[in-house]
Amino acid sequence: MNVMARLGSRLARWRDWELNPVVVKELRQAVRNWSVTGMLLLFLVLLFGTSLMFLVSQTFTSQFNQRLGAQIFQAFVVILGGASTLFIPLYVGVRLAIERQENNVDLLYISTLTPGRIIRGKFYCGAYMTLLFFSACMPFMAFTNLLRGVDLPTVFCILLVLFLVVCFAVQVGILLACLPLSKPFKVLVGLSGIGIAFVVLSSVVGLALELMRSGVGAMMAGRDFWIGFSTAVGIGFAGFLLLHFLSIALISPASANRALPLRLYLTVLWFLSGGLSFLWVRHTKDTRMLLPWAIVMGLLLFAALFVVISNHDQLSLRVRRRIPRAPVRRALAFLFFNGAAGGLAWVALLLALTFGATWWALDWSLDRARGFQSLSAADVSDFATTAAGVISYLFAYALTALLVHRRLLSGRPPRLAGVLALIIPGALAVVPNLGMFFLNRLTWDAVERLQLGNLFNLFIVRESAHQLDHLLCAGTWLMIACALNARWFVRQFQSFQPLETAVTPPAEATPTGPS
Amino acid sequence: MKIQVRNLRKEFGRTVAVDNISFGFDSGHVFGFVGPNGAGKTTTMRIIATIEEPTAGDVLLNGVSITEEPELARKLVGYVPDLLPAHGDMTVHEYLDFFARAYGMRGRRRARAVAAVEEFTHVTGILDKHLKALSKGMKQRVSLGRALVHDPEVLVLDEPAAGLDPRARVELRELLNLLAERKKAILISSHILTELTEICNGVVIIERGRILETGTIEEVLKKSAPRRTVIIRLLERDHHRNPQLLRELLEMPQVDHAREVAGEIHFESSGDESAACEILARLIAREYRILEFRQTKANLEDIFMTVTQGGVQ
Repeated sequence: MNVMARLGSRLARWRDWELNPVVVKELRQAVRNWSVTGMLLLFLVLLFGTSLMFLVSQTFTSQFNQRLGAQIFQAFVVILGGASTLFIPLYVGVRLAIERQENNVDLLYISTLTPGRIIRGKFYCGAYMTLLFFSACMPFMAFTNLLRGVDLPTVFCILLVLFLVVCFAVQVGILLACLPLSKPFKVLVGLSGIGIAFVVLSSVVGLALELMRSGVGAMMAGRDFWIGFSTAVGIGFAGFLLLHFLSIALISPASANRALPLRLYLTVLWFLSGGLSFLWVRHTKDTRMLLPWAIVMGLLLFAALFVVISNHDQLSLRVRRRIPRAPVRRALAFLFFNGAAGGLAWVALLLALTFGATWWALDWSLDRARGFQSLSAADVSDFATTAAGVISYLFAYALTALLVHRRLLSGRPPRLAGVLALIIPGALAVVPNLGMFFLNRLTWDAVERLQLGNLFNLFIVRESAHQLDHLLCAGTWLMIACALNARWFVRQFQSFQPLETAVTPPAEATPTGPS
Repeated sequence: MKIQVRNLRKEFGRTVAVDNISFGFDSGHVFGFVGPNGAGKTTTMRIIATIEEPTAGDVLLNGVSITEEPELARKLVGYVPDLLPAHGDMTVHEYLDFFARAYGMRGRRRARAVAAVEEFTHVTGILDKHLKALSKGMKQRVSLGRALVHDPEVLVLDEPAAGLDPRARVELRELLNLLAERKKAILISSHILTELTEICNGVVIIERGRILETGTIEEVLKKSAPRRTVIIRLLERDHHRNPQLLRELLEMPQVDHAREVAGEIHFESSGDESAACEILARLIAREYRILEFRQTKANLEDIFMTVTQGGVQ
């Protein structure tokens, strides 16, 4: 059934629409949870106390052009931001983490609820709670408008930004809760999450104050405001969707095709953001506008590289049954379905296209006659060397880790390959410098000297010739690693075949029971 | 509804938890799944409930493959795991209502289904109680209710009687019998084998992931314990004739291993039921005043002890 038909059938059944069951369950649990009730009461007391404090203190002062509303509103934004950015993501995340920590986590997965509905349910619960806190705050904020100093468009704009930030933070909380970590690690991740939330909160409050100072109402009439606003919201939404798909993949059963939605999403994101960047380059006549896209996509794909090599080599029956039979479609599916080999090919392809296209555009625009602004020729060359070096090093680490895992640790879970791929660059960066430290030879000058194999050294070597040495080293290592992994890769590609029905043999003389 | 487990295999790394097992049973029957700890019972049940995926083989629920159409298969199965429900801060009604919603039931249909399950599992008196405040027996009822809320045709129960008091066990047995009458196909694992003998029509005995015995209870008993033990008790004032009776019995060709145990004569007979009748007729003809003449069947526990060795993978 295509998307339109599905949408049509859903619209036809609108009377049957019901809330996501997970939302109902979570909200039922939230309303009787003492922490939610306590937080809401504390929040109201703080709002009330703050209003009272401002009103009482300002009664004794009389200033010309008094802007009491703006002062109280600033205090309210801090309180609301603190309560919603810190508490709600923490509450949603901790609840999910506890549920996943409990032994009978399967209970959620024996119904017909999909992992996507579960994650969406958890997110909607966080969004509803945010609305609850915002609604509780609304009368106080509307009151500030009567006290002068803040206009209603500013109030609504700030609240909208804050709401979107809290929604993003809730999704981050959900993702952290879904990570397959032990309890102590989860606590550690939770604590760092709280730290990040504080940073986000201070940034949001800063932004809110800036918006109040500059007057959002006046800016809203201009086109630039909406371009900036929609760009920020678009980037935030793309990040949100990435976290959302990651969370779904993390709670999906091991036999599911976890990689497919995530790789598809990243490919679509890559394509759309790349297209927009090229349009922007054409509009501004400046090829440097491609660099943010190339760097962000590069970082995402580098992270994806460590994830894909943690995939199982053997595909589950469920995945194998969905492999297309047509050779072209099967080759495409190889890139997007579970499996380390396909994942490596997918990352390599996207990275080559990203940096290849960026380098080509930068190089093309060096000719000033074309009327485009660009980096200098030396910078373009530096960009190409650095990008090639980083990519070669990372693939070399990843392939080496895969080889070590396959040859020496084949009985251990495949995620160990990902961990190894992180340990190798870490060890190569730390061990030589640690040795120099113990030999009392560690100086900044020594760190800046050539350290072949150390990815981070590529960024700090002084001489450009050393960058070429790095490129040579990384390229050689990569070629050796490719040669050693070639048979495995070919075997993986060849075994990527749809499951024949005959693979499940008919039951041998089934001793059927009472019938 | 026909349940067919076909050449099922499950590997966890190098460990083979389930090794190429096949069996089948129909609706309206209770099938016991017996084996020592670590035999592969829970893994098999989790595969049938679509929680685990088999490494090879398949399970067909009326032709619906759990590997090809797990979503559809999930609608046909109700699974009661060996762990009792979490979500301690939910009430019994909320818990059942949540799972009814999770199975896609809407509006009045859901309300009716939840009410019916609450009544069937006798939890109507505790609907507003939190799960954390329930006894183990009550939690087991709620767990069974959760598995039944979408009216599945197959029920998979993993150790449902573990830790229950005798009354709760009897009540659970009654519920299972009622479910069998409602044409549900039930697969139940338990270590309480005497109970399984009473409620099951068929049985699978599994060890180290392999099937040791399978079939109807009668078939398995016949196959694994072909001899029947017969107990004779004479009138108390005739107990002095016990040695004579022993001698006479041992002279009969169908009788083996006759012995006196606490005033009773126990002997094993390799013949069928008519042979036992013949023995009884002969004894009456010789004027033994027999107060009791009964056969004891070997039960599942005896067979379990005979066929299994207590090994785990």
